[in-house]
Amino acid sequence: MTNGEAILEFRGVTKSFGGRAPAVRGFTLSVPRGQLVVLIGPSGCGKTTTLRMVNRLIEPTAGAIWIEGRDCKTYNPVELRRRLGYVIQRIGLMPHLTIADNISFVLRFMGQPPAARRARAAELLEMVGLAPEEYLDRFPAELSGGQQQRIGVLRALAHDPDIILMDEPFGALDPLMREQLQEEFKRLLRTVSKTIVFVTHDMDEALLMADVIVLMKDGQIVQVAPPEDMLRNPADEFVASFIGRHRVLRQASEVSVADVMIASPAMTGAANGLARSLELMRRRRVNSLLVHDQEGRFEGVVRQADLQQHIEDGDQSPVGSLADRAVEALSPSDSGLTAMHRLLEHQRADSLPVLDENHRIVGLVTRGTLVGLLGDALRVASGVQDLNVADPTLPAPASGEMAP
Amino acid sequence: MTLLLHTWQFFTQHPGTIWRHTLQQLYLVAIPMSAAIVVAVPLTMLATRVRWLYGPVMGFANAMQTIPSLALLAIMIAIGLGIGVLPAVLALFLYALMPIVRNTYVGIMGVDPGVKDAARGMGVTSWQLLWMVEMPLALHVIIAGIRSSLVATIGFATLASLIGAGGLGSLIMEGMGMASNSIVLAGTIPAIVLAFLAEGLMGGLERALTPRGLRV
Ligand SMILES: Nc1ncnc2c1ncn2[C@@H]1O[C@H](COP(=O)(O)OP(=O)(O)O)[C@@H](O)[C@H]1O
Ligand SMILES: [Mg+2]
Repeated sequence: MTNGEAILEFRGVTKSFGGRAPAVRGFTLSVPRGQLVVLIGPSGCGKTTTLRMVNRLIEPTAGAIWIEGRDCKTYNPVELRRRLGYVIQRIGLMPHLTIADNISFVLRFMGQPPAARRARAAELLEMVGLAPEEYLDRFPAELSGGQQQRIGVLRALAHDPDIILMDEPFGALDPLMREQLQEEFKRLLRTVSKTIVFVTHDMDEALLMADVIVLMKDGQIVQVAPPEDMLRNPADEFVASFIGRHRVLRQASEVSVADVMIASPAMTGAANGLARSLELMRRRRVNSLLVHDQEGRFEGVVRQADLQQHIEDGDQSPVGSLADRAVEALSPSDSGLTAMHRLLEHQRADSLPVLDENHRIVGLVTRGTLVGLLGDALRVASGVQDLNVADPTLPAPASGEMAP
Repeated sequence: MTLLLHTWQFFTQHPGTIWRHTLQQLYLVAIPMSAAIVVAVPLTMLATRVRWLYGPVMGFANAMQTIPSLALLAIMIAIGLGIGVLPAVLALFLYALMPIVRNTYVGIMGVDPGVKDAARGMGVTSWQLLWMVEMPLALHVIIAGIRSSLVATIGFATLASLIGAGGLGSLIMEGMGMASNSIVLAGTIPAIVLAFLAEGLMGGLERALTPRGLRV
């Protein structure tokens, strides 16, 4: 990141709460004017602490934070906070004040007359499409959680601060409401240009909102990058795993079968007996098995219904004799899109084996896998919430027992 | 029936006596209660800022309430305050502290931490936080404390005549001395009315001082 016109600068900021490892360590970052920077990382990595050092609700142990070319410490904390906006997950509207008074809370301390405060509150309500005459005189308790946090955001805009600090502002809302507020907030930001430090632990939210993502771990910055760069070039294993599924599932066409396939599908050796194979199916909770020969080469697919029928008929032959060889296969380097097309072409198959160049089984792609892939791709593209697509017929991808 | 009649006669024949005792009783309640409010509320507020203060303050108030009321009166005599209004007022004052301390602390500490954090983050000073956020939100809780303290004090004040503080209690004692149930009742009825009146008034005040935003 360039040092261009930084409105906010962290210079080697460290905070320890006594004894234990510091909550934030050597945090250095410069935030250009007008950017939305997302601080993200696992719980307890120091995001909130970092944010609260900006408005001096927490004082750094070492290092300095500069705002508009001035060390924070040279501001009076109360004055400093009135130059900033602050939005928190707990919302924290004043229950005894009307919406009008809540939105203009800071203006009151800045000595604005009541009429001007009310006018400002009305103006802000209109910006998010809430009818002022309906809301100005109501109380927070009469509003839904989503509406309350809209007011919480407007309150942070009332005094037109250049910098707004937001600590998981949408974290307490249900997924639908969260998505709605995220969209609304993005729209709002186009009309008011602000520098924003936004804390979240939700990668979807970060990808949706951020100009720059700052990924933290154990109080330190791991990587600073725009969302696209972070997805394409994660700095290390930690970053990759934190954004893992997003990186992989960015676009179905970019994804290879190897990335999405089930790496240890339920299989059975061709020489195994029928009953034993059926038992394997039960244990893995699948309704078909891949049949392989002694070298692990694909022999075909055997389905539960066939197996059961032959067992009832007293058939003593090995499972290899029932394997359906007329199944198309995928290669690990095929794209996710190809896999989708093949599965759609073959209505009969609900899964396709993945074979290497020697015809050895390396994995399996099911319809469930692809629905998940599509869902994730859609979600990344539009910020839609997790669809939670679960396929109970999927073989568990973990324990890879391979029957001899 | 005759008892009620005699009581009624006492009321009509000695309105001055009744009135005097009732007024004494009011003083006996009002003075220690005012003192308790003036001392306990600010001190407890301070204790919400200077945390170590809460232990000693609450401990003391609690001890005063725990001592049986008669014993508390006896202690006043024992520590050399003798008998009369002063020791009675002091005893009543000490006795009235606890519910006020408790409710003031609970009321202020009970304000949603999110609300306080947001307020601080918006740049209110510690005093503004107290006056413009914590006090309005805690006021009805504090009033509830004053209410229970007041009702207890009215009851206790009747006993204060035992150490010569006057009030309706002395009318009751007088009646018992003369084996006159009508005089006992003439003391008892105003005491009861006072207690209910205080309870009703404070209940109304508590409701009136609950912020509208908390009532919806
Ligand atoms: N006031 C505090 N006193 C002691 N430890 C704290 C305090 N605030 C935060 N911490 C510790 O600092 C670390 C970072 O906390 P925090 O900044 O809240 O993390 P995050 O917001 O990323 O979840 C945690 O280990 C937390 O327990
Ligand atoms: Mg946090």
